[in-house]
Amino acid sequence: MKKTLTPASGLLLLTLLFVWWWNSRLPKAVELTPTLTGQAEYCLTCHADVPEISPSHPTATFGCVTCHGGERLALDADLAHSTMRGGANPSDLSVVEQSCGGTSCHSGSEADDRHHIQRVMTSIQSTYAGAIANIRYTFGAQTDLNAYSGITTLTDEQTQTGIASLAAFKAAGDDHPFIQKFGENCLTCHINATPLEDENYTRHTGCAACHSTAQHTFATAIPYTQCNTCHNRGNYDLRTMTFVERTDQPTKRIDDYYQPIAQFTQCEYTLDCVDCHTRTEVMGNGDIHANKKDIQYTQCKTCHGTPTEQPLTKKLTDPNDIAFTLSFLNPVGDLKLGDMILITEKGEPLWNTRVLSDGTYELFGKATSQYFTFNPVMGSGCTQSGDDQSSAYCHECHAVER
Amino acid sequence: MSELSRRDFLKLARDGFLYLSGALALGGLLRFLDHDPNPAAKTEFDLGPASNYPLNSRTILSDPPAVLLHTESGFSAFSLVCTHLGCSLGNDSVGFSCLCHGSRFDADGTVTHGPADKPLRYLRVEVMDEGNLKLFTA
Repeated sequence: MKKTLTPASGLLLLTLLFVWWWNSRLPKAVELTPTLTGQAEYCLTCHADVPEISPSHPTATFGCVTCHGGERLALDADLAHSTMRGGANPSDLSVVEQSCGGTSCHSGSEADDRHHIQRVMTSIQSTYAGAIANIRYTFGAQTDLNAYSGITTLTDEQTQTGIASLAAFKAAGDDHPFIQKFGENCLTCHINATPLEDENYTRHTGCAACHSTAQHTFATAIPYTQCNTCHNRGNYDLRTMTFVERTDQPTKRIDDYYQPIAQFTQCEYTLDCVDCHTRTEVMGNGDIHANKKDIQYTQCKTCHGTPTEQPLTKKLTDPNDIAFTLSFLNPVGDLKLGDMILITEKGEPLWNTRVLSDGTYELFGKATSQYFTFNPVMGSGCTQSGDDQSSAYCHECHAVER
Repeated sequence: MSELSRRDFLKLARDGFLYLSGALALGGLLRFLDHDPNPAAKTEFDLGPASNYPLNSRTILSDPPAVLLHTESGFSAFSLVCTHLGCSLGNDSVGFSCLCHGSRFDADGTVTHGPADKPLRYLRVEVMDEGNLKLFTA
């Protein structure tokens, strides 16, 4: 017995030394206590190199768990990730309310302009209602072009101006084989759909589909290339109900732009989509709409006016004007109290524009910060009727062919 | 000095191994017991001698972010954490502004621009027996 004591004690020491050494090799736990929650979390132990997602969501304030969920005290990766919301994307529409919602965040009141989630959920980018209605009508599954189905079931009983409800579209329930093929092949556009596999289509789902332009980055400065991941990828072939990918590899910006249009005015291909199209047009207004024409209203005259009318403008006299908030989030210009800016027919501020003292206008590119100046139509030689605003009319004189 | 016998050597080695093992085990145990994986946020801050903050002074503190005021009526403080979502506030010529969402507060902590809708939170300050100031954030 005594003979084995010495080797046994040596073995015990070796074992303990090994355990100590093994433990010392493990990453040192990095604790963060975000000011918003006041609760410790250890995500930075492994994720210290993840860039801060945006100036509006600093890690020191929000931490990781507020948005991503997960087990905040776990140091084992599997356990820590076991209760995360939406995998790596908490803005996926299936979990967005838990991740990004809350009255102080993105599901507050319409009066506070904090109903972002409600707007996105009911927007045509999410429901795809118009496309579904058109296909079902075309192949005889419904007798008019009204929208009855969307990607998911949706109701809006309070609406005065939109569609009250949509049923979930079940392609398999329709008899026509083309509708079934549409369901199988053509539902990759709405923002909660998994995108097609190609680097040109790379985007996330939910809010991040538009706002995340790089890894762990959220921005309102959205370049046209982000819009391209859905809007310029190719075309759906209605004869075969399949998606036909673009095969060209454009090298010039004008060729890389929105494919269905063949002609562009200079501003259409020089600016980014978000320089003209407002957040209400893109994210919706909280009502369920079916088609682009129901919610898209920016036209050439929004910025340029017509031969007989100047574009709508507004003087910024209220420091709480939403224009300042939007400008704060993407400070491409230096918007000040007293500035005169352009607004849409719905009163939305085009906060990256300003009326200059000589009656012309300036614009800062939201994604590029590029500086542009432009003129009103009034006083020019243009004889275009102000009511004719479809692209064909302005393109008649101002288009650049490609 | 007599030579160490083999038996004594083994005994010495065994005792050494056991003592070292015990020390390692005890160290590990103490380290384990000392570790609090879910520590409560610190809510009391020693600001040092009250004499460091003269009458009518206004001192911006960094930890915790707060403004310490010394007036005729004594010491008081308010937090420099935004009441909207808890972001840090920057100091400018007219007051304080939130670096995350643009809320603004005047020099007294009153909201002048949303999205925050509550004034900055007043914090309790006490002069301790030894003459130091203690700031309480909860």
